[in-house]
Amino acid sequence: MGKYILKRIVSLLPVLLVVAVVDFIIIHLTPGDPAAVMLGSQATEEELAKLRDQLGLNLPIYSQFGHWILGVLQGNLGWSIFMDMPVTQAIWEHLGPTVSLTLIAEVIAVLFAIPLGVMAANRRGSWMDQSFMMLALLGISLPSFWIGLNLILLFAVQLNWLPAAGYQPLSSGLANHLKYLIMPAVSLGIMQGALIARMTRSSMLEVLNENFIRTAEAKGLKLRVVTYKHALRNAMIPIVTVIGLSFATLIGGAVVTETVFNIPGIGKLIVNSVLRRDYEVIQGAVLLIAAAYVLINLLVDLLYAYIDPRVRYDKS
Amino acid sequence: METSSVTITGTTTASHARGRRSILIRRFLANRLAVTGSILVACIALVCLLAPLLTSYDPLEMMVQDRLKPPGSSHWFGTDDFGRDVFSRVVYGSRISMLVGFSVVAITSAIGLLFGLYSAYYRRLDNLLMRINDGLMAFPAILLAIAIMAALGPKMSNVIVALSVVYTPTVARAVRSAAITVREQTYIEAIRALGGKAQRIIWRHMAPNCLSPLIIQATFIFAYAVIIEASLSFLGAGTPPPEPSWGNILNDGRTLLKQAWWMTVFPGIAIMITVLGLNLLGDGLRDLLDPHTNKAKR
Amino acid sequence: MNRTPLLDVKHLRTRFPTERGEVTAVDGVSFQVYAGETVGLVGESGCGKSVTSLSILRLFGKHSGTRLEGEINFEGKNLLTMSLEEIQKIRGNRISMIFQDPMSSLNPVLTIGDQIAESIIRHQGASKKAALEKTVEMLRLVGIPSPEQRVFDYPHQLSGGMRQRVMIAMGLSCQPKLLIADEPTTALDVTIQAQILDLMLEVKERLNMGMILITHDLGVVAEVCSRVLVMYLGQIVEEAPVETLFEHPKHPYTVGLLRSIPTLEGNRSEKLHVIEGMVPSLHQIPQGCRFAQRCPYADRLCFDQAPDLTEAGRDHKVRCWHQDKLSLEGGMELAFETRERRETLSG
Repeated sequence: MGKYILKRIVSLLPVLLVVAVVDFIIIHLTPGDPAAVMLGSQATEEELAKLRDQLGLNLPIYSQFGHWILGVLQGNLGWSIFMDMPVTQAIWEHLGPTVSLTLIAEVIAVLFAIPLGVMAANRRGSWMDQSFMMLALLGISLPSFWIGLNLILLFAVQLNWLPAAGYQPLSSGLANHLKYLIMPAVSLGIMQGALIARMTRSSMLEVLNENFIRTAEAKGLKLRVVTYKHALRNAMIPIVTVIGLSFATLIGGAVVTETVFNIPGIGKLIVNSVLRRDYEVIQGAVLLIAAAYVLINLLVDLLYAYIDPRVRYDKS
Repeated sequence: METSSVTITGTTTASHARGRRSILIRRFLANRLAVTGSILVACIALVCLLAPLLTSYDPLEMMVQDRLKPPGSSHWFGTDDFGRDVFSRVVYGSRISMLVGFSVVAITSAIGLLFGLYSAYYRRLDNLLMRINDGLMAFPAILLAIAIMAALGPKMSNVIVALSVVYTPTVARAVRSAAITVREQTYIEAIRALGGKAQRIIWRHMAPNCLSPLIIQATFIFAYAVIIEASLSFLGAGTPPPEPSWGNILNDGRTLLKQAWWMTVFPGIAIMITVLGLNLLGDGLRDLLDPHTNKAKR
Repeated sequence: MNRTPLLDVKHLRTRFPTERGEVTAVDGVSFQVYAGETVGLVGESGCGKSVTSLSILRLFGKHSGTRLEGEINFEGKNLLTMSLEEIQKIRGNRISMIFQDPMSSLNPVLTIGDQIAESIIRHQGASKKAALEKTVEMLRLVGIPSPEQRVFDYPHQLSGGMRQRVMIAMGLSCQPKLLIADEPTTALDVTIQAQILDLMLEVKERLNMGMILITHDLGVVAEVCSRVLVMYLGQIVEEAPVETLFEHPKHPYTVGLLRSIPTLEGNRSEKLHVIEGMVPSLHQIPQGCRFAQRCPYADRLCFDQAPDLTEAGRDHKVRCWHQDKLSLEGGMELAFETRERRETLSG
């Protein structure tokens, strides 16, 4: 088992390297002089030269990459020109809301999606199955920010039940925290919930056709036991993959949702940095999120081994 | 593997192909959801082509005396804070979405097909390309798009570039896995043993089998492209104003949510219809063309 | 036999929908199984033997749209009319089933011990601990070495033969009165087959169970069964005690099956017999005798009218118009005639 984990970690290194290179290249695609873009048209030649020097723009591109990647490995993601602080500090200050938001969104998505997907599969072809799946299809067809805007229209503007925007940290009390995050989390989670529900249904349908389900029924087990103990556990393997992927998509989606609800998270930080052309912040935050995604995938792989004994024993 | 046996002997008789095609068409028409999807997509395509005939207002014309008018007989979807007609902005906005969607699908399909096929055939190339693929796919789609837009600057053509970078790996991977199943069949080994040329094997034998997954992927990528273009424009990093795009109309409407709900509701419905149509179509095509999911559903 | 049968199937019809319309996979099948006897159900694949066995426990998905007609009486109750809860209490308890492919029939993510014990817990209300002890005992009974450790194994850690032993242990864990074995040895290699058959016979004797053995392998039937039902296209075409069937078969299809058994005796120089033609599709059931198209003796009557299953001797029933005229034994050159006749009569 330990060997399996180690092998998986080693296989991630090239992916992480590609991630870093891609991230670096994208930011350095900026046409023209980044210093001029950052400082605007009023900047003097002296100021520009100073910034170029500070950013290392006078060095050849590969040594710029070398400097940057060495810094990254030491935990230095760069310097935010606009906020005048290290990128790591900027990210740290914005991390809490994003983690909270994506976790709540994921929990909402999984909590609704799996039971609904299972029910739909168990009653295949029924009106319930069809209406669930129609809803799920609608769910993957609506942009999350539009759902968010509509929720604000309904619950904040019309009914005045929830605040239209803003954020309160967990330290202000769980109820208060949730009051601000529930709408963003729902609007963010719907699409992933819909995807998970669709995957749950199709995976369950596939498993329900298997011979061992017939064996379980031939033993006289109750439908509930057959469904949840025998079928769902086997069906979980592709579902877990989708859940893992959904985490990454949620973090990405948080960029938009945080803007809609004015939540001071990583997403808002990235969008603001794009508008402010604070490139090192974008570079650092994007790298961090991609790396988080790679790690989540590792966890998913380890979870497979937990769910499926065949993986556990073959690879150890 | 019907198609593969046909291609190897090279005896695709016209009647056989026609019979198979008519079966596919009949099955497609029997799938109510897929038909609904294609009707929705066709409607949006018509709106986009016939935009000037559908509305008498210029989407950019400001009528200051008509600012923030709610939906009514003269302005079906109301007007925005500059007095522009929201209906005609939504109608013309479809052109941006369709243009972006089409271009992204064309570019990703072409490059993805190329990369996928060659990667499936040449093992060493495969190793390199798939590492790059994995790396690119490690970025959440919208985040990668935003990063690219941040570097290139907000412009519609840049949205197309960004989304093509984002979705080419998806296509390449789908094509590759379909191509590999062909490559590993015995008859390909036989052709190779008999001195068959690589290019011929790739394009005559492997490529035709990648068409179904390619078409399915392309449909879904079209849908994602529409959503992400709207998201980018909504964030101010996509199609810049005053050019109407569904995303930037929503962005204009966001600050006026309390006064002018119509600026938020209607462009959103337009996005929903388009994406729903594409998703329905994609699901339908997958049921039709992908034998694996077919089996699972029975 | 004057005793009341353990299982009494009367006019069973099983229909299910397919893409090309409803098919009747089992069409008016009647038979009995008595305690302590082994009944063989034979026929080519697609003849309805597996569907018959699944019909007994109604093991079709709720949404498959399967319709069952007739009666299946077991211990004085009709299995077809009882509620789902009632039949769930019979499944795995009074009637057990063993399936063909032990790899795909065992749940890959649960330990074999768990899979056997859950049946005991369900039907005997045993505690987890008691069930585990019983499970170990069952595994020992079916000849699995060091069962105390094996209970914690997953199916993929066992060989094919061991998996089938696990299936048998699972089927027998609640001491059923009737065991239905659907091709229990098909997926196994020959030496293991014999071991598994011996094991099944031994426990059958010990528990005085009735057993239905579904197979396409007449060699297995000869070894194990006391009575045989031959099925063709959803119907029973011949029913007889095993000796009678092998020595005096009355149905041309049975003869065809018998002659397709490979033998080890070197003196049989002729080629292995193959029944001419293909089994017709369930979508296009012939109006006359269902076997007429492939039968060397078929005449106009056979193509026009379907024969009934009639008495042909003691405990012997046959569904053939010509059963009295035909004296069927091995050695006839049937194949050529079949082709000619089919062409003239059906063409």
